[in-house]
Amino acid sequence: MGPYFARRLGQALLVIWLAYTLVFLAVQLLPSDPVTIFLSADAAADQATIDAMKAQYGYDQPLLVQYFSQLGQLLGGDVGYSLASGQSVATRIGAVAGSTLALASSAFVLAVVLAVALVASATLSRSAALKRFITNLPPLFAAVPVFWLGLVLLQLLSIQLGVMSLFPDGSFASLAVPVLVLALHVSAPIAQVLLKSITHVYEQPFVDVLRAKGASPAWIFYRHALKNAAGPAMTIAGITVGTLLAGSVITETVFARSGLGSVVLQAVTGQDVPLVQGLVLLTASAFVAVNLIVDLLYPLLDPRILKSSAHGSPKALAA
Amino acid sequence: MDTNESRTATTNAKAKRRALRLLTLMGAAALALSACGANPAGSAASQVQDGTPVQGGTFVFAEVTPINNFQTQAARFYEKANVLNSVLDRLTYFDAKKGELVPWIASKFTASEDQTKFTFTIRPGVTFSDGTPLDAKAVQANFEALGKGIEGAKIQPNVDFSTYQSSRVIGEDQVEVTLSSPDANFLRATSSVTAGLVSPKTLTLDNAGQSAIAKISGSGPFTFESEKADEEIVLAKRSDYAWAPEGAANQGAAYLDKVVVKYLPEVAHRAGAVQTGQVDLVRGLQPADETALAGSGNQVLPAKGIDLTANMAAVRIGSGKLADAKVRQALQLGIDRPTLKDTVLSDSYELAGSVLNREAPDFTDFSADLAYNPEKSKSLLEEAGWAVGSDGIRAKDGQKLEVTVTSSNNSVVIKPAFELIEQQWRKIGVKLVNRAADNAFLATAMKDPNVEFFGTRQFAYGGLGPVFGPVTNTQTLNADQQLNELFATERAAASPAAHKQLVAEEQRALVVDQALALVLWDEVQVYGANAKAHVDFTSGTAPVFQGAWKTGK
Repeated sequence: MGPYFARRLGQALLVIWLAYTLVFLAVQLLPSDPVTIFLSADAAADQATIDAMKAQYGYDQPLLVQYFSQLGQLLGGDVGYSLASGQSVATRIGAVAGSTLALASSAFVLAVVLAVALVASATLSRSAALKRFITNLPPLFAAVPVFWLGLVLLQLLSIQLGVMSLFPDGSFASLAVPVLVLALHVSAPIAQVLLKSITHVYEQPFVDVLRAKGASPAWIFYRHALKNAAGPAMTIAGITVGTLLAGSVITETVFARSGLGSVVLQAVTGQDVPLVQGLVLLTASAFVAVNLIVDLLYPLLDPRILKSSAHGSPKALAA
Repeated sequence: MDTNESRTATTNAKAKRRALRLLTLMGAAALALSACGANPAGSAASQVQDGTPVQGGTFVFAEVTPINNFQTQAARFYEKANVLNSVLDRLTYFDAKKGELVPWIASKFTASEDQTKFTFTIRPGVTFSDGTPLDAKAVQANFEALGKGIEGAKIQPNVDFSTYQSSRVIGEDQVEVTLSSPDANFLRATSSVTAGLVSPKTLTLDNAGQSAIAKISGSGPFTFESEKADEEIVLAKRSDYAWAPEGAANQGAAYLDKVVVKYLPEVAHRAGAVQTGQVDLVRGLQPADETALAGSGNQVLPAKGIDLTANMAAVRIGSGKLADAKVRQALQLGIDRPTLKDTVLSDSYELAGSVLNREAPDFTDFSADLAYNPEKSKSLLEEAGWAVGSDGIRAKDGQKLEVTVTSSNNSVVIKPAFELIEQQWRKIGVKLVNRAADNAFLATAMKDPNVEFFGTRQFAYGGLGPVFGPVTNTQTLNADQQLNELFATERAAASPAAHKQLVAEEQRALVVDQALALVLWDEVQVYGANAKAHVDFTSGTAPVFQGAWKTGK
């Protein structure tokens, strides 16, 4: 377990560092520096103001000095200064991250539950028609745009029926509806992959053996098939973190919720490059962290991974 | 009961439940189809306009996008100004009805003949919400911050105060400001929310502190009570408030107990939020929603942006295609403004008669010069040497008459407006590439003289010099020496009459002779309000909650 863990952790840190460097280079490739871009977003700004602000934020320094001083600050936990809010990027993100975490994690849990429930009912159903119907649900969930479903539900529930608020008011509905909207979308790829690998597992000889021994379909599904099929679904679940964050941006805007989504939107429309930089770094870190957790859980499902990991596992490619 | 009967009963129950579910769904669908339907309770007759304010109540106002920087000098966006207007007072107030500057915290203000020295007499007895007196010393500290910025807090000077040199306290209650060069627009700038007075304690905070609404202490009719980041801000009334601007209907404390500012980024919900009574007032109503909202007994309130220029396509001549004034004039005459109003806008929008808003003090009406005349457009373009090619687009010296427009996405109507203009110009042989509302493109295009049009409107306190003058001009990027000298002269105008005359000349040059500003419609922010809400707006389109009230709380 030790070397496997160390290698995975090292890879994760490398990915974060590369992500940071790429973002830094991307910022340098912008047609202008962050201060000029920020100040030109709407109102007029004169050159003296731009120069003064560039000096204050260090954007007048040579490229390498900027890179290493920013990297040094980053290692010290300082992700810079948001141009629009005047707060540090960490404070700005920290103020709303909890809200997104609540939305995204609830949606993720619900998505997994939904995916397992769908696959279980498709597998265990004795009606072929029902099976077909359930199997077709995940593509439908994936096809329905998050913002459209959110808008329709709000129009219906809040404006027509008046049973929920347009604004987050702490009520059950104001959390449950956005969570459901997001979860449906996120559950689609998980359910599809799980369904595929369950089908694959059922073709294995050991299932026939279990059947011959008289195990009930539910017993076979929950005790044996699910565990064997969980690997690929877990990988996909890890990758859906991206979908989850992108979906949060939309869900938060539609449901007027605070969170990283609205900060992303503001940072991008307000041309607040340091804040965008911080958000990209956070997203990359979250993505890498979740996939690291998935990687570390893998050996628990299938101890053979540890033996073969010396040759590198296909999982590393997926991440 | 035998098993057969029982099974039938179950089946019946199931069928009933299924039918019920179907009915519910159908009902919901029907309701959805009748969206924006009538609201029987709120007929037009129930709008109480008797003018007797009701005390108390909480007023819910929905803004467009959440913001988190309330640093005063940067309040050039509506979202900031609309909150700060209730929290901060200014030295002067622009009375839109009278069309002039009236006393507020400065009970008296005078300008020297050459517009370089200004004296403000500070009203006695005013305090900031943190208990500090708003006296001459506090005003002087504010002027220093406005004119020079606060280096330690990474706060830049206010662009409206670029001529500020120094200020000193004279006598007990007077502040004298000295400018480095004459500035006829200086007084008007003291009425702007971006010149809101904050407590000297606020000025000592760092940038994050001065940007946080929770920490800003002003002398306004409301004070900060609580906030949920990016979701809502709650303001509570200050019961000892007694220093409203001269002429304000309410001279005392606000009628409302509380104002709640919420954020509703989704444009599709704004009318519904008012119709269902979830908010009392919402900004950023789409023209398409206005009729339905007014028809259901609610109010559509256009707030005129008198402090701002008209919405326009500011012309840049860098690419050379628009270097000839005749081409620019052709484009000016090639815009069918009445059709623009009928298709894209609504009755809330007034077509521009100049680059200044109709209600602005020095407005000159050029409506007659702006009448749609495609035939004249075509002959002007022919005269300038642009001949129609096989594809219907004009060309000259192998170059097509293809021009590009950039703009921010801050206005709900700017993109569709340019879509219509694109069609209209096509008829006179000009191709418009519409990049309006593309903020990523805007960042670079704004300073690129090769991008021919910048769709915009700007705060223009007093004159056009600060907006179009050579020092701060990011609108037209023009290199016309004569015109630039005119802007400089206007800024230094010694008397109001001379100033008016010069601003009129500038407008004629920008709109008619040089056609550097293709003006579209007067700036207006369209608000939706429910029948119970009574609210007025400043000349900068901010709601004045100090005088607002709600019928029946």
